[in-house]
Amino acid sequence: MGRITRRGFLKTGIAGAGMAALSPSVISSVAPARNEDIIYRTLGRTGLKVPVISFGVMRSDNPGLCKAAYDKGIKLFDTANSYQGGNNETMLGNLFQDYSRDSFILATKVKPASDRDGKPNDDTSPDSFLEMFSTSLKRLQMDYVDILYVHDISNPEMLDYKPIINAVQKLKKDGKIKYIGFTTHRNEARVIDAAADMDIWDVILTQYNYRLSSLNELNAAIKKAAGAGKGIVAMKTLAGGGFLDRERTKPMNTTAAIKWVLSNPDVHTTIPGMTSFDQLELNEKILTDITLTDKEKSDLVAAINEPGLFCSGCRQCIASCPYNLPVPDLMRAYMYAYGYMNPSMAKSLLGELGINSDPCSNCETCSVRCTNNFKVKEKIADISRLVSVPDEFLA
Amino acid sequence: MKKIFITGILFSVFSGILIAQEITFPELQGYRKIMNYPVYYPDNLWDHINGAADGYLALGFVDLHVVEYKKGKNIIKLEIYRHSDHIMSFGIYASERSPSYRFLNLGAQGYITGGVINFFTGNFYVKIRTHSNKSKVLQSAESLAVRVAAMLGGDTEMPSVLYQFPDEGRKPNEETYINESVLGHQFLNKAFKASYGAGNDNFDILLMKFNNPKEASAVAQKYLATADLEPLQSDNGKFVFTDGYNGTIFLAWNRDMVVIISGLAKDQSDIADKYTSAILE
Repeated sequence: MGRITRRGFLKTGIAGAGMAALSPSVISSVAPARNEDIIYRTLGRTGLKVPVISFGVMRSDNPGLCKAAYDKGIKLFDTANSYQGGNNETMLGNLFQDYSRDSFILATKVKPASDRDGKPNDDTSPDSFLEMFSTSLKRLQMDYVDILYVHDISNPEMLDYKPIINAVQKLKKDGKIKYIGFTTHRNEARVIDAAADMDIWDVILTQYNYRLSSLNELNAAIKKAAGAGKGIVAMKTLAGGGFLDRERTKPMNTTAAIKWVLSNPDVHTTIPGMTSFDQLELNEKILTDITLTDKEKSDLVAAINEPGLFCSGCRQCIASCPYNLPVPDLMRAYMYAYGYMNPSMAKSLLGELGINSDPCSNCETCSVRCTNNFKVKEKIADISRLVSVPDEFLA
Repeated sequence: MKKIFITGILFSVFSGILIAQEITFPELQGYRKIMNYPVYYPDNLWDHINGAADGYLALGFVDLHVVEYKKGKNIIKLEIYRHSDHIMSFGIYASERSPSYRFLNLGAQGYITGGVINFFTGNFYVKIRTHSNKSKVLQSAESLAVRVAAMLGGDTEMPSVLYQFPDEGRKPNEETYINESVLGHQFLNKAFKASYGAGNDNFDILLMKFNNPKEASAVAQKYLATADLEPLQSDNGKFVFTDGYNGTIFLAWNRDMVVIISGLAKDQSDIADKYTSAILE
């Protein structure tokens, strides 16, 4: 019994502590996976051997969690100059002071300024980029990082923007980074396909999950890039933070989702975000077993068939609507009302879209084909009635 | 028919929700406003801030309004993040601040570092950034910050729970708010954290305030149960135990508050007792 009198820890605290220590504590770290059982893949031409599970540190402010991950065999830790205003890098820097530098792989990201289309603009300055990287190194208290990603490239024009390319090449030459990479969150297939033909890029960090609408194109681009020696790291593997719906009411089988990503041999590692030891222990199991069980396969099939309320924004529907309605935005309005339970936000969006009645009322049948199998006409008819509800009923 | 019924219920249930406060961007003398950004919501925040979005979503992110002020080649970018309440806006603000910054009396609190001015007020977190290092542009950015703070208004105090942390040894401007998985445990949520330095000892105090004593007791006992400890009585107590992931933990609760101290050794219960007593008694 570890109770201590209410008067203080002092008199009985040590005894209590002693007893607590003698008691078997349930809060104990699970024995780490045996190193020889961990599945490693080679990160393209970098030659780095990486476990199939790495750590997307972005949301974790707990060094204990990172330490536990390291102890379990995870070696690649992924952060960014911008995460938590730099505190994420600082936390990792403090933690890794106690570790041999070659016992872990550190990846960070610096985002060059760009316009909304991802093209370089007046603010895209190599000096600013280098200054941010210098700040990252200071926070990390390291002489070099293993991988520096140019963060968020969505336009091939940025892939070949010489001022930034020259800057990262100089960092590599100066030994401040070992490998040059980029991250991509939009137009991934197009960007990766272009990068595959360029020698400069060593590693590509891309979103990749079973729910993406343009998987064929992305798979082809990844295959081409991996074939060209690029290391491929997958992010956003859970397609929505571990839930089938953005309303977080239907938890997904996260193990199945990550194993699905790793079923592509061209993906070398994944960086699931983790904030709890429970998540870590789930992912630890994948370190040594990436085979999808029958149950996991059926969970994935069910998940794929679960349209939820989240519109993936593929925009393939727009061309099939004779009125060119902004179907993705209307689906978003529907989600605000029924998912976020915020009809005010939904009505506000409908107003922005210029919807003042049911725009589908002229169509007997709907020609729109939704990749998520949404019943588009039905949803639009339902949500558009919001515009006639007086604000005071929503206020 | 069913949909009509559902919608009717939906509108009834949420008839008490306030319509979101409209955001009107102030003018800035000599600059023209470029408003070609969409309003970002939880489902598309990733498009704007990528992986950092998860941290915002975990802290009640509602929407984001973005505008750029341009004068010649100089650009000042203004981002107004709306969160669900004042504690959440503090949480996201605090997660990105560093004690090394120069702090400003702006909103509830703000800081400036390089071309960045960030502050929070009410349920808003405001970020202003320029890549220019010209003093006139930086002055314009500061002027914009003052105007935006006045425009948004809201609660300009720090969250009240922070005042319950003892001052002695507290490291200034390092308080944070953790909404989920405190100390990495999914059953511990919604804690304010302050860091302390006393001599050579560095430790953290986590403070969780609940709606009632029953909730506080239930959470404390759940933590104890995971360490195979059971309190002798259910109302309150002080415990020390080993958390296999987080080391020695001092846990105490009284009424609607739970205090957790991590970072101290087991034989430092005198320090733990001093601080928990100051908070709980």
